[in-house]
This record gives sequence, C-alpha cells and structure tokens, in this order.
Amino acid sequence: MAAASVASQAQAVLRARLCDPGFVHSALRSSPDTNYSKLKYLVASSISEACNNSVLLLGPRGCGKAAVVDMVLEDLKKEHPDAISVIRLNGMLHSDDNCATKEIARQLCLEHQLSFSKMASSDDNTEFIIDMLRECGLAHKTILFILEEFDLFAQGKQRLLYSLLDAMQSLTSQAVVIGLSCRLDADQLLEKRVRSRFSHRKLLFVPSSLDDIKRLVEHLLIMAKDSSLPAKYITDYNSRLTNIFSDKKFKGILNSLMDADATTSNILRFLFRTVSYMDMESGFLSMESFLNALSAMQRQPKMDSLQDLSILELYILVCMHRLEDKEQSSYNFTSIMKEYRSIQDAYKTSDKYASTVCFRAFEHLLDRELISFGDIRGRNQALEYRPVKLLISSRELAQSLKLNTTCPAVLQKLFDRERYM
Amino acid sequence: MSQPVTPRRTTRSSAGSASDPASSTPQSKSRPKSTLRRQLIPAAAAAAKEEEEEEEGENDQSTVNVLLEALPGRRAQALDLLRLLAPAPALPLLLYGGAATGKTRALLLALRHIHPRPHRVAYAALRSLPSPRALFASLLSQLSPPSSSSASSRQRVPDKPSDFVAALRDALASLCTQGDAVYLVFDNLEVVRSWDKGTQLIALILRLHDLLRLPQVVLVYVSSATPDAYYSMTGSIEPNHIYFPDYTVDEVRDILMRGHPNPKLYSSFLSVALKPLFRVTRRVDELGAALEPLFRRYCEPLGDSKVVPDESIKRRLFEHIQSHLAVALNETFSVPTRASVDQCNDTGGKASTKRQFGNRDSLTELEFHMSVSAKYLLLSAFLASRNPATLDAALFDSTGGSDNHKRKRKSSQASMNMKDTMVEEMLMKGPGTFPLERLLAIFQCITSVSEDSLDDVESSANMMNGSGMTGLMSDVLLQLSTLCNSNFISKSRSCPLEGSARYRSNIDEDLALKVSTL
Repeated sequence: MAAASVASQAQAVLRARLCDPGFVHSALRSSPDTNYSKLKYLVASSISEACNNSVLLLGPRGCGKAAVVDMVLEDLKKEHPDAISVIRLNGMLHSDDNCATKEIARQLCLEHQLSFSKMASSDDNTEFIIDMLRECGLAHKTILFILEEFDLFAQGKQRLLYSLLDAMQSLTSQAVVIGLSCRLDADQLLEKRVRSRFSHRKLLFVPSSLDDIKRLVEHLLIMAKDSSLPAKYITDYNSRLTNIFSDKKFKGILNSLMDADATTSNILRFLFRTVSYMDMESGFLSMESFLNALSAMQRQPKMDSLQDLSILELYILVCMHRLEDKEQSSYNFTSIMKEYRSIQDAYKTSDKYASTVCFRAFEHLLDRELISFGDIRGRNQALEYRPVKLLISSRELAQSLKLNTTCPAVLQKLFDRERYM
Repeated sequence: MSQPVTPRRTTRSSAGSASDPASSTPQSKSRPKSTLRRQLIPAAAAAAKEEEEEEEGENDQSTVNVLLEALPGRRAQALDLLRLLAPAPALPLLLYGGAATGKTRALLLALRHIHPRPHRVAYAALRSLPSPRALFASLLSQLSPPSSSSASSRQRVPDKPSDFVAALRDALASLCTQGDAVYLVFDNLEVVRSWDKGTQLIALILRLHDLLRLPQVVLVYVSSATPDAYYSMTGSIEPNHIYFPDYTVDEVRDILMRGHPNPKLYSSFLSVALKPLFRVTRRVDELGAALEPLFRRYCEPLGDSKVVPDESIKRRLFEHIQSHLAVALNETFSVPTRASVDQCNDTGGKASTKRQFGNRDSLTELEFHMSVSAKYLLLSAFLASRNPATLDAALFDSTGGSDNHKRKRKSSQASMNMKDTMVEEMLMKGPGTFPLERLLAIFQCITSVSEDSLDDVESSANMMNGSGMTGLMSDVLLQLSTLCNSNFISKSRSCPLEGSARYRSNIDEDLALKVSTL
C-alpha cells in the first residue's frame, strides 16, 4: 500500500510534467542558438531600443512554437516587469475584423484596469486601440501582439493585419507583432501593402532529430533527487529507466515513432500513455509499458473496422470489388444486388438474404465509412440508385478476409478467383 | 458492494444505477443526459463516504472489478479508460468504434469510478443539439453554478466561437479554483461535420485543450467515425485514442443472457438462434430486437416459461423454431399486423402459426390495404417510370398490344448487346420521371383494358369505384396526392420548358407484383 501510494504519486508528478508545456521545453533555455534564444534576443532588443518589430514563427504543428513564445514572455516579464503588455489573438476565433478589434480592446482594458463596454462599436474600438498604442509608446511600454494561426488572419481582406502593421509605422508606437503559423508559406499569403510593412524575419521550427528526442525523453522521465518521493525509490526508478534507454528495443520504438511523426506533441502523447500504463504495484516503468503504448498508438482504423464486419457485409464488399474488377465505372446498390444474386445462384451458399436485409448491411457499411456515395447529393434520388465507391483498397480487403476466422471459404475463393478469371 | 439486478431493457439514461448493458437502443440517445449527470454527483458523494471507511488498496481493486462487471467484454478498454482519465491533468482522449459498441456507457461508468472524483462532468450530446449556438448554451448552462441559474439564463448565449471560448474560460476558471478536475464530454462528434460551418467547429472543439490552457480540465470525445475523419488540411493536435471493437459472438451471448429470468432456456435458444443472425448483423441492438419475438415463438410449445429444458424438449423446440428462424433472417423488422396478433391469441396455436407461416413464405400479399384505383394508379406510375416514353405507342395501342407478335424479328447480336446496355443503364439510373398527362394516359389505357376482362367476382370490389371508367377517374388526383404523401410516388423537379410537375415512382418490382395480384 505504501508502494501503491508512491507509485500513484510518481505517476501524478510525471503526468503533470508531460501536460505542462513550460516544463517540456525548459531544456531549450540552456542550449544556445535555438529559436528560443533568437526570439528572446529579438524581442528584448526591440523593448530596450524602443523600436517596432515583427517576426513570424513557422513550423509544423506540435513543434513547440507556442511554448517558445510563452517561455520568452515569462522571461521578459521577470526582467522588465512593467515594460510590456501582451495581447493574444487566435486566427480560429478572431479572424473576423470586428471580433478581433473587440478582443484587442477587451484585453487592453483588462491589462490597464479600464472598464470595457461590450456595446462599443468597431470604430470606437479601433480609435481606442490607436489611442492606447500612442499612449503606451509615449510611456515607453511595448505592446506585444501574439497572433496564433496567422494564416487564418491572412484570409479575406487582411484589414486587421494592415491596420496593426500600419499603426506600428508611426513614430510614437512601440509594438512587436509575433505571428505563429503552421503553414510554411504564411508570408506569401500577405497582400502587397501588408507585406511591405512586414519585416521579413522568420524563425523556422523543425521536428526534432533522434538525439533531441532522446534528450527530451530523458529530461521528462528521469526524476530529480529533490522531489518529494523517497530517495531509494528514485534511484531504483532512474536506474531501471537508464537500462531501458540503452536497450536496442527502445531505440527501435523511438525510430518507429519518428518515422510516422517526429513532432514533440507526438512524443508527448506516447510518453503520457506510457506513464499511464505504469505498473502500479512496483511503481516502475518497464519495457512492456513502452511497447503497449506504442501498439495502442499505431492502430489502423480501417483494418479494425474491416474485422468488425458481419458475413453479409463482407459479401457486399466482395461484390463491389468484383464489379470494380470488371471495370464497371460506376455501380449502385441495385447492380451490387444483381452481382450478389448471381453469386448465390452460382455457388448456392447458405447466405442468401432478402433485399431489405442486404440494404441494411449496406447502410451499416456507409456508417462505418468503408464505402461512400460517388455523387454529391444533388438529384433527388433514392439511395439504391446513387453510385457508390469503395473506400478501402483491395489489399486491405484481401488482408481482412485472411484475418477473419469466421469468413466462409467461398468468399475467399470469390475474391481470389476474379484475379485468375 | 454488489450492483442490484435490474430488468433487462434498460436505456442509457438509467445506466447510472443499473448494471445491465443490454440493448441501449439508439432511440434512447435523446434522453436528457442531465439526469445521469445529476445522479453522478450524489452517487459519487455516497460512494466517497463508503470509501473513507475502507482501506485504500482494497477499494481500488474492488471499484475496478465493479466496473469490469458492468462492462462485459470491455476489459482492455475499461482499464485504459481508468488509467488515461484518472488524475488530472490529462491529455484529451478520443473514444471511437462502431455504433452500439458501448462507448458512451463505458465512459460514463468509468467517470463514476475514477479515483479522484471529478468535480463536474459536462456532457454535450451533439446528436440532439441542432446548431452550434445550442451546443454553447448547453455547455455553459451545465458549467455555471446552480445557484445563479436564473441569472445565467438572462445572459445572452454566445453566438460566435470567440465569445464562447471566453465565456467557457470564465466558467471553468471559477470551477477549477479548488483544484478538482472538470470533465467535458463531447458525444457523437461525427455529426458536427454535417453542420453548417462544421469543419471550423470541429477544429475548434478538437483544439479546446490548447485554447483553454487550464490543466484541471480534461476533454473527452466520443465518435463513431474513425480518427482519420478528423484530420484537416492544416493538421491538428491529436488526442489519445481508445478503440472499441465490436463484440464477438460469445460476448454478445453474455450480454443478452444477463439478468434473464430463465437462463438455461434462454441459452439453449441462443445456441440455436444467435449464430445465424450473427452472420447478418453484429450490432447488439439489432440482434436484441430480432431475438425478442423469436424467443416468444420458441417458448410457445412450452406450457410455462420457467421450465428447465432437457434434451428432448430442446430438440422439439429446435424443430419448432427452425422455420421461423429462416423467415426472421430475411426481415429487418417485423411489424405485427392485426391478423397475426389475432392468430397468436388463437387457442389452436400450431395450425394458425402454420397458416400464417405459409402466407409469409409466399410473400404475395400486401400487408396493408389499397383501393383498386390506387393500385391501378400505382401500377401505371411504375410502368411510366420503368419504360421510356417512346415505347408507349407500342405497348398501349388500342388493341392492348396484342398485335405485337406480327412485328417480331430475329434479334441480332447488336440489338441484344444494346438491350443489355439498356438494362444496365436502367439499373444504374433508376426510375425515370414522367409528366402527369402521361400517367393519366397510361392509367386510362390499362383501366379500359381491364374493364373488358372483368369478371363478376371482382364486381363487388369495383362497386365502390362506381361504374365504368368515369368512376375510376373521378378521384384519381386525390389518389395521386395520397400516394405522394405515402412516398410511393415522389414529385421531382418540374420540367424547365413546360413548367408542369413531373413525378417518379419509388416502388420496386416485388411491391409491384404484390400490388398487381388483386
């Protein structure tokens, strides 16, 4: 029982670490010449020199862009406590200009303890923002605009971007615009007048290499001696973990993870699952927990769905496949039924069912998204006559027929025979 | 801490108190989930009191066992749920699997049994919410403190996603101050894809974890579409997946056997009836619905239903059920008509069932009644839809098409190929449309032909239609609108040149054959 509570405590500590982006990326603080240091230098210099600046952070999802921005902000708030105020906007929510100006005004009011009226019109808000920019500039206070999902702001007329970047051109304002986007060509989306006001600084985030990931895993899982857990447990835990890290199987696990997706968020998901699969009696992570987590993450949903089908549904899929092999460009439920009947007449299996039952199985396949309609629902047509197509490949179907233990042999024969017909 | 035995047909809304997983039918999904959530909190409080009195280690094991008891065949998924949900903070979670695989039930039961009790669970039943605004209103009302419910109803429900996220953050921040976890559950996420602006809303819902940045909030999504349905072009942060496979035959048997008053009889029935039905469909709710009337038939030869069968009885019952099983395999559902119900109440049980069985086997009778003129109209619509207008002259000339045989030629290979392609086109395109005048012309033609060959036997049926052609024609437009309302004929887009309405027949050949046997 004491072991159980230590294990659950350890698990809680590890889970909290994995869900905290600040901790995950804190190793970046120490290493030189990373995007973190570049960004920090940029923002710090524009604060101290009282100038305007703009920068774009680009990289695939889950590479740590927002985490780096948060870390930089935290550091700067400690160094210059009164000199910055932060406005955060998100392209998913605030891409509409009125929404965005309202949100900026609301956040400005919040920061400076002013009361915000929801009824203010968009012109009022814009005037207020321009006034605030001027005031903050005169008071030598820098406003940091953080625009997440920057590419979504670049849709439409880009009025917000233009007004922000234009306001920065005036002498009295002090603002830094930091844009984050997962589209690597986000700056190409800008209009000419916006792009000319934008300084073309870009920081590129790339998915980590194998060494970086190994270091990250060690940083996240190895526990320091000064935590609240008993020291003997920590030493045992750390030694076991280093044994696992040097194992060849672990390298194989990391490689297969990285082959699919090498971003930090994928590794975090994997580690979270591993920690959740921790053996609660001993409180240690074992190779088994790593392997279980990997197999849980690498499922193939379509193959799983194919294993869940009933025999009649498999018949329908095989009929569709035969029709496709016969080079019928489009077919619908009635032609599938015709094929089905001809098969039943030829082979006299026990699986001959009425049309309504087959249609219900057809609808189940539609629900599982293994087949779908080939046309957009324009004409007012009954479901039996709309063209359908298979959404699984013939290799997947062949594999699922082999794996299915209850599949009748005649079905396998029907599937194979068309190749040699 | 054993769960009480409850009657079999429990719906999901009472699943909080029951341990029976049988047949959570899809219709029960629209039941108010707030009752389940409100049951959660007092039940959690009561269970928490019990736990304080017992040792911690033993209790963990027993709660897990209770959960596994309640979810048959779901051992791996239940353990996964308990481990991935349990102490907040946690990364978001996605449960996916086919329909009727017990995802929502497993989730809600697991939320009752996880160790630090959740402070609040907000459940968004997306299938019963019509629009994004309703979703926002439902979530915010569940998260706002109950004392200020009147005040919150006076506040405006946010329309835009930005206002919603801000309101959500405020509501959650006030709840999370104590450090307890709040769980947000989004059920049936796949229906959001078909909403207006659905893709943006899905992207928003899946990224709530990043937008909110509150470590005590755990997001759980339940979907019957696989995770690759949610990948968008710009990528999204993926949640952890848990897959719910369909049940195997043995698991279905366990589920259906639960809580049945006469397990030996029912298991002998299932050993006969389950495997054939399982070849058709694997969904538990459909199997349950099909097995219920069959079981009633199965028990008919027995005097009372409490009897424990031995081998001879089993054989007798098997022979009795065999024929009904073959019929049940070819039906999706059976609506008991009044005739069948009367026959069931008959004391001469065997003879009546045989007669009824004979009827259903031949399937030549309609299960509902149609007037003669409606039948003629339906048939003319069928003929008009299935044959192109160019053939009308040949089929419906004044002699009733009797002199066609004069023009028969030996068909060449090319014309036979053309006929095949025409047949295939017919299969692909489906029934065609026809204007009202063509329908009436064909109707007039076949009623005039049939009147010439009417017997006296049918005269009684025709009496109510009056005498002669004018009688059948008088209410034809009325009949047409009735057939349109019952979806036998549907109205399609009107012809752009003439502006007259065009119709299309929706019946297939089997029904046309049934209708034609007067």
